[in-house]
Amino acid sequence: MSTAMTFGQKQFIPTPPDKGSFPLDHEGICKKTMVRYMKCLINNNSNNSLCRDEAKEYLACRMENNLMAKEDWNNLGFQENKEER
Amino acid sequence: MKNKYIVTMNRVLLMNRCCYSVISAHDQKEKIRSTLNYMIALGIMTVGLSYAAVPLYRIFCQAYSYGGTTGQIEANKAVSNMKAIKDRPIKVRFNADTASSMQWNFKPQQPDITVLPGETALAFYTAVNPTDKAVTGISTYNVIPFEAGQYFNKIQCFCFEEQQLNPHEQVDMPVFFYIDPEYIEDPKMEFIDEIVLSYTFFEAKEGMKLPVPSYVKQ
Repeated sequence: MSTAMTFGQKQFIPTPPDKGSFPLDHEGICKKTMVRYMKCLINNNSNNSLCRDEAKEYLACRMENNLMAKEDWNNLGFQENKEER
Repeated sequence: MKNKYIVTMNRVLLMNRCCYSVISAHDQKEKIRSTLNYMIALGIMTVGLSYAAVPLYRIFCQAYSYGGTTGQIEANKAVSNMKAIKDRPIKVRFNADTASSMQWNFKPQQPDITVLPGETALAFYTAVNPTDKAVTGISTYNVIPFEAGQYFNKIQCFCFEEQQLNPHEQVDMPVFFYIDPEYIEDPKMEFIDEIVLSYTFFEAKEGMKLPVPSYVKQ
């Protein structure tokens, strides 16, 4: 990945995720919500803006089952007001 | 009479002065040479400092900053305050790779997602361990084009930490990310509407020290 020739060229520096790493869902607890999210994506032509509710559900499932640290929805980008919808 | 006296006195003084300068011509040369040496040394020192500043700055930043990212509190504030920008949809395509010796089957669940800058998005990858023994993997990622990488912020993902898969286990790995709304103000990004996010999984063997970035908490 980094050889002598890449010195001086632009190097991509990966940054760590803000809230760390997701623990793996070995038991598949949140698989149902994930499948729902994927179905929504397929139905809406992979448009993220239309599937945010399902994404919120998935993250809520993760938080409930101790697979994710509990976070305020605002800090995850899910504003409570839906005026723009 | 007085004028003549003054004029002669001036001439005498001038000669004295000029005689003094003749005697100290050698000293003056020394002075000039030493001044020149000082100037040259100053010039070389300035050039040297400007070369040395680059690694010194890097060391300083590594010691006192957070690897270029802002603190945790600021990240939360940034995310809660950002607004989605509706007129620049960006298509994020997902790519998954494994190292040649890595036996997992690793692929993205969706080929792409259309996302707005400032809007958080969720994407999934799936990894399957087809072997009969537990395999531990560690992943890293890459964003193409290079200039778009600075706007790609991950809130949470599965990279840089060892993930273990039991034999014949399949697991979904989510990536929760957003594209910084400042993306639209960058003139270099004006015609870039597609970003490729590529994850690569490597096998983490016992006793093998991977070159993990220094900011990762082990």
